[in-house]
Parts: sequence; C-alpha cells; structure tokens
Amino acid sequence: MKAKHQRLVLVLLALVAVLGASGLALSALKDQAAFFYAPGDVARDGLPLGKHVRLGGMVEKGSIARQADGVSIAFVVTDGVAKVPVRFRGVVPDLFKEDSGVVAEGQFQSDGSFVADNLLAKHDEKYMPPQVAGAMHETKSLEP
Amino acid sequence: MLHALANPTRFLKIARPLTPILLWLGVALFAVGAWGGLMRTPPDYLQGETVRIMYIHVPTAWLGMGGWSGIAISSIVFLVWRHPLASVAARAIAVPGAVFAALCLVTGSIWGRPTWGTWWQWDGRLTSMLLLFFVYLAYIALARADHDRGGDGRIPAIFGIAGTVLLPIIRYSVTWWNTLHQGQSIGLTGSTIDSAILWPLFWTLAGASLFFAGVVLMRMRALVAAQRVEARLRRLAV
Amino acid sequence: MTHWGFVAAAYGVTLTAAAVLALASWRAMVTAERAVEDLRR
Repeated sequence: MKAKHQRLVLVLLALVAVLGASGLALSALKDQAAFFYAPGDVARDGLPLGKHVRLGGMVEKGSIARQADGVSIAFVVTDGVAKVPVRFRGVVPDLFKEDSGVVAEGQFQSDGSFVADNLLAKHDEKYMPPQVAGAMHETKSLEP
Repeated sequence: MLHALANPTRFLKIARPLTPILLWLGVALFAVGAWGGLMRTPPDYLQGETVRIMYIHVPTAWLGMGGWSGIAISSIVFLVWRHPLASVAARAIAVPGAVFAALCLVTGSIWGRPTWGTWWQWDGRLTSMLLLFFVYLAYIALARADHDRGGDGRIPAIFGIAGTVLLPIIRYSVTWWNTLHQGQSIGLTGSTIDSAILWPLFWTLAGASLFFAGVVLMRMRALVAAQRVEARLRRLAV
Repeated sequence: MTHWGFVAAAYGVTLTAAAVLALASWRAMVTAERAVEDLRR
C-alpha cells in the first residue's frame, strides 16, 4: 500500500509540474497565438503598420462594392466596436457575404484602411437549414 | 472490476466475444448516421452541402482527443497500480488514436477549402491538433523503443500523461484566441446546430466510438498474445 | 470540385483509412493468437 501511495504522489507531482509549465508557456504565447486582429484591437492598441497581418470580423451589411476598375472590391470589416475599410483585388471565397465572417490578409495603411491580398471566409458555430435561417439567407453576396 | 480483468485469461474471455460486437455494431450505427447525413438532412443556409462533412470530422476529432485521454488514464493506472493490462491498453490505443487525429486534420482540410477558402492555416485550433498528431507519433516510437529495450513501460507512461496538456489547449483554443476555426458548437448545455442537421451526428459519433473500441480491443489481444509467446519462449530457452 | 466532390472525398478518405486500420489490426491479432496456439502444441 505504501509504495502505491508513493507512486501516486509522484505522478500527481509530475502532473502539477507539467500543467504549471504549460500554463506559463501558454500565457507567454497568449498574444502571439491570435490568428487575426479585430477592428476593436486595432482601434485600442494602434495600427500594426509595416507588417503583413490578418484582420478579422464581420462584413458590414451593405458595404460590399465593386470598384471602378471592375476587378477590385471594397467593403467594411466590423466587430461591433470599430470598423476598418478594406480594399481587395482577387478571388473571393464562396462564403464571402455581407453579415458574415471574414479574415483578410494584407497590410494596414497609415490612414487606417486595409489593403488585402487574400480573403478567407470565417463562419460561426451556428448551423441551420435555409428555411430556418430565413432572412439571414437573403444577404447580398458578390454576383458570380 | 479492474482486478478481475488483470488476469489475461479473464480479459480474453470477455474480449473475444465483445470484439466483433463492437466492430459490427459500430459500423451499423455509423452507417445509419452517414445515410441520414448524406440523404436525409437539409444543407446549411450558409455553406450548403459541405456541412455534411461534419458527420465525419467531429467524431474523428473527438476520438483523436478521446484516444489520448485513454492513453493518459491507462498510463496513470499503470504507474500507480501497476495493472498489467494498463500499459497494453495504452499501446493499443496509440495507432488508432493517431489515425483518427490524422483523419480529423485531413477531413478538416477538405472541409476548409470550399468554406474558408483554404486547405490549411496556422490558427490555434488547427496547430494544436497537428501537435497532438505529432505527439501520438512520438508516443508510438517511444513505446516501441521502450519495449524493444526490455523497458517496463514507465517512460512512455509518463509521456502519455504529459501529453494530456494538449487536450484543454485544443478544446479552448477557439475561446482563448482569435481563430479561423469557429467556436464550440456542442457543449454540455446544448448545441448551436439546428436539430434537423444535428441528429445524424449522434449516430456517427456512437458508431465511430464503438468501432474505435473494437479496433483497440483487437490490438490489445494481439499485444497480450505476443506477451504470452514471449513469456513461453523465455521459459523454453532456460 | 463541386461541394459534393469535397463531401465524397472526406467520406472516401475516412472509410478507406478505417477499413485499412481495422484490417491491419485484425491481421495482427489473428497472427499473434495463432502463434500462441501453435506454441501450445
């Protein structure tokens, strides 16, 4: 019995050590591990200029507009706290729609706007049939 | 119950009939879920038909992670109680767990291309899951090396416990950090998935779990048999 | 690839991998248990 208890204590100590070490590593990693900046982050902490970064949020309703050159598009990314205007030229993912999530890769401009070279669609954890989605289903997306 | 199973003969008496039941019942339940998920459920309002990949991707994710939990629990039981079947169980889970973790990454990638627009991104969820897969490979190599050198299984067991730290990281990655992967859709309090789309997932999850257990049982039986042969050969060599 | 193509690819990869895993595990089990029987004789 005694030996078993000794082993149990050793295992628990090892567990605590591992968890403690990873907890420390995690808190160090916290800020770097974010996949994208939200508009609110940038409004609060300042523009990460000169770096190739990601901007994520919702595509503001009514904001998608084709530009005069016929290829580029402009839209606004919002997180409910702040907004960032974005310009993009390239192929757009199927799920890129207004009132839907987006992650844009590119660079911030000094005027606070964002020029994207790649777009990813981000969807939330809600799944439902079209009938249930109702009005949500009818949001404007880019014409094919 | 643990001590009843400690005797390999007793374990085999239960494992032999149980193995085909788990495998075939698992396949049957999964088939019901796949039929429902491919033929009976509606498409998603946003992503359309690709949502049907969920019925495969979610079970592989849960089992990839659940498999490692099994390794961790077996490792603790082995280290503390020296249960003879515990290290066998951990080693038997390793390859199926790694396969399901890999399938999670592959099906996730296939799902990501038409929805997110990319095969892969280094976000918190995907990266930590990939890390778990690498840890599985490391464990497999470690367990094999330890066994070949005549080790008693203590080192792989410690590794099996240490690797557990990845599980809460994977689970909470979508909560702690901004990620491309969406947040939790299934929890203890409910689900954000409409019931019309959700129901086949219970079937594929149950089926895949039983199938996984059946495979682990087969691998345990193979390891136990190998142990008996080794023991017999050692006695004959004297 | 159409969306059904991606769905088919995901299901195909999974079912193939699961089948290979089960078959390989079953073969290993049968071989090992047969070896025990052979030693008995």
